[in-house]
Amino acid sequence: MKAITTGERNTAVLPAIPNWKRKLKKSYFAYLLMLPSIVLTLIFSYLAMPGILVAFQDHNIFMGLWNSPWVGLKHINAVFEVPMMREAIFNTLMISMLTILVGFPAPIILALLMNELKIGLFKKSVQTLSYLPHFLSWIAVVGLTYSLLDLYGPINDLKMMMMGADAERSMFLSNQALFVPLLLLLSVWKEVGWGTIVYLAAITSIDPSLYEASKIDGANRFQQVVHITLPGLKTTAIILLIFTLGTLFSSNFELVYGMQNPFIDFPVISTVVFSSGIQQGNYSTAAAVGFVEGLVAFTLIIAANRIAKKVSQISIF
Amino acid sequence: MNHESRSYKMFKATNMTFLSLLVFAMVFPYLNVLAYAFNDSLDSQFGGITIFPRVFTWDNFRLLFENQEVIHALWVSIARVVTGTAIAVFVQFSCAYAFTLKGVVGRGAILIFLIVPMYFNGGLIPTYLIYSELHVSNTFWVYILPVSFSLYNMVIIRSYLYTIPDSLSESARMDGANDWTIMTRIFIPLSLPIIAVMTLWTAVYHWNDWTTTLYFVTDRKLYTMQYILMQILKESERVAKLMEEAMIKGIQLTSGGPAHTTPQAIRAANIIITTIPIVVVYPFLQKYFVKGVTLGAVKE
Repeated sequence: MKAITTGERNTAVLPAIPNWKRKLKKSYFAYLLMLPSIVLTLIFSYLAMPGILVAFQDHNIFMGLWNSPWVGLKHINAVFEVPMMREAIFNTLMISMLTILVGFPAPIILALLMNELKIGLFKKSVQTLSYLPHFLSWIAVVGLTYSLLDLYGPINDLKMMMMGADAERSMFLSNQALFVPLLLLLSVWKEVGWGTIVYLAAITSIDPSLYEASKIDGANRFQQVVHITLPGLKTTAIILLIFTLGTLFSSNFELVYGMQNPFIDFPVISTVVFSSGIQQGNYSTAAAVGFVEGLVAFTLIIAANRIAKKVSQISIF
Repeated sequence: MNHESRSYKMFKATNMTFLSLLVFAMVFPYLNVLAYAFNDSLDSQFGGITIFPRVFTWDNFRLLFENQEVIHALWVSIARVVTGTAIAVFVQFSCAYAFTLKGVVGRGAILIFLIVPMYFNGGLIPTYLIYSELHVSNTFWVYILPVSFSLYNMVIIRSYLYTIPDSLSESARMDGANDWTIMTRIFIPLSLPIIAVMTLWTAVYHWNDWTTTLYFVTDRKLYTMQYILMQILKESERVAKLMEEAMIKGIQLTSGGPAHTTPQAIRAANIIITTIPIVVVYPFLQKYFVKGVTLGAVKE
C-alpha cells in the first residue's frame, strides 16, 4: 500500500529546539493516541495466540494450558479421520465454492443492468432497496426465511393456489435437499445489491471518450458493454475474486447455524468447532479443527495477496 | 439517443421489468413479515397474508413488550450500540490520526504489530479459553472491548486523513496550536464524513451481532435482542415460555377477548423489532453507508 510511505505530515521547523527532542515529544503524543489500540490488540488478539497449543494436548481446564498432558498430533490426525469432521470439511468447501460460483458473477451482471437505467427515481429506488438486505443481521434474514416458508406462509399459500386445494403444504425448512440451494439463495439475496457498489463505481471511472469513439465506429450498446464496460471491470473483478478465494475454507456460521434444525444434517467446520468445543467442552478436538482451518486460511490469504499483487500491483498490505 | 434501435428498446423494457421483479423479491419478505406482525395471531393461522394485515392489531407487540426479558434485552442492545460505537470510533480515529503524524519513532513496528493478528489468530477455542480466564466472558465488556480496534476501519480513516492538506496543520502550528488543538480543531471537524461512516458501520455491527452472546455469554441478563430472536427461531421451548407468559398475564387486548398468540406472531413481531431501527434509519443515511465502500476501495 502506497499510503504508508507517502502523504507524511510536515512539522514546522523551529531551529532552536534540537531535532531529537522535538521528535520524541511528537512521538509521545502519537504513542498516547495509539495506546488504546495497542493494548486492545495485545489483550484480545495476542493473548489468545498461545491458546492454539490446546490442539496439541488433552486440555483440562483445571490444569490449565501449561500443565495439561501433551499428546502431539493426536487431535490433528483425528480431524482427517473422524467421519463427521471429514464431512464438515467437504461441506465447507462445497458451500464456499458454490457461493463463489453464484455470488461472484451476480453483482457484476446486476451492476451492468443497473447501469443501463437512466439516472432518476427508478434507478435510485432499485439501488436503495437492493442494498437494504446487507444491513439486516443474518439471524433476521433467517427469521424472514422461516416466516416465508412457514407451513401457513406465503410460499405455501402460493403452492396451494397453483396446485389446488387437495395439495399438501410442505415443510420446506426440514427438507435436506433444499438446504444447500436455500443457503445459496439467501447469500445472494442479502449481498448481491451491496456487491454492485464497487462495480458501479468502477464503471463511472471508465473514460467516456471510449464510448464516444466506439459510437463513431458504429458500435451498438451491447457491443459497447462487451468491448468497453466489461474490460473496464476486469481488474476490480479479478481482485475481488482472488480475495474471495482466500475465504474458501471458511463458512458463514451465522447463516448455516441459523438455518440448521434437527431434520437437517449438514455440519460445516465452524458449526463443528462450536458444538464440539463450546457446547460439549471438547476443547482440544475443536481447537485442532480450528487450527487446521486457520492454517489453510492463512495459506490461502497469503497466496491470494501474492497473486493479486502480480495481477494488478495491488495488495491489502 | 434518438436513434435507439428497436432491439435496444426491447432490452430496456425487459431490463426494467426484471429489475422491478428483483426489487420486489428484495422487499416482499420484509413486507410480508410486517403484515404478519400486525395481523391478529389466530387469524394468521389460516394463511393467505401477503403485504397487508387482514385483521389489524398491535397485540403481538404489546404481548412481547409485556415480557420483562425482552424489554431488558432491548436495553442491553441499545447500551451496547451506544457504548461500543463511541469507544470504537474514538479508539480507531485516534490511532489513525497518530499514524498520519510525521517522525513517530517505531511507527512501522507498531503497524506490523497491529497487522499480524489479521493473519494469525487463535481461533474460536483459544479465544474462548482466554476470555474466561480474563473474566471478560459473561460481562458487558465482552461486547465492547474485543471489537473496539479494527485495523480495516483504522486504515480507511487514515487514508481519509491523508486527503486533508498539510498546509492546514502547518499554518495552525505557526499560530501556536499544539498537537491536541490541531487534532480536535482541524482534523476532527474536517473528518466528520468518515466519522459518520464509521459510526454507522459500527452501530449496525453492534446492533446486529448475536454470535458474541452465543459464544461468550450465559448470563440471561446480558442477552441482546438479536440473541432473543435467535432463540425464538431455534428453540421451541423459548417460544413456548414466551407464549405461556403472555397468556398468564391475561392482558386486555385491543381487540377484546382473551390474550392469545402463536409462535408465528411472536416470531414476526420480534423480527420487526430487531430490524426496524435499521430499516427506518437507512434510507436517510444511505449516502454515508455507501460512501464508506468507495473510500475503502480508494485505499489501495
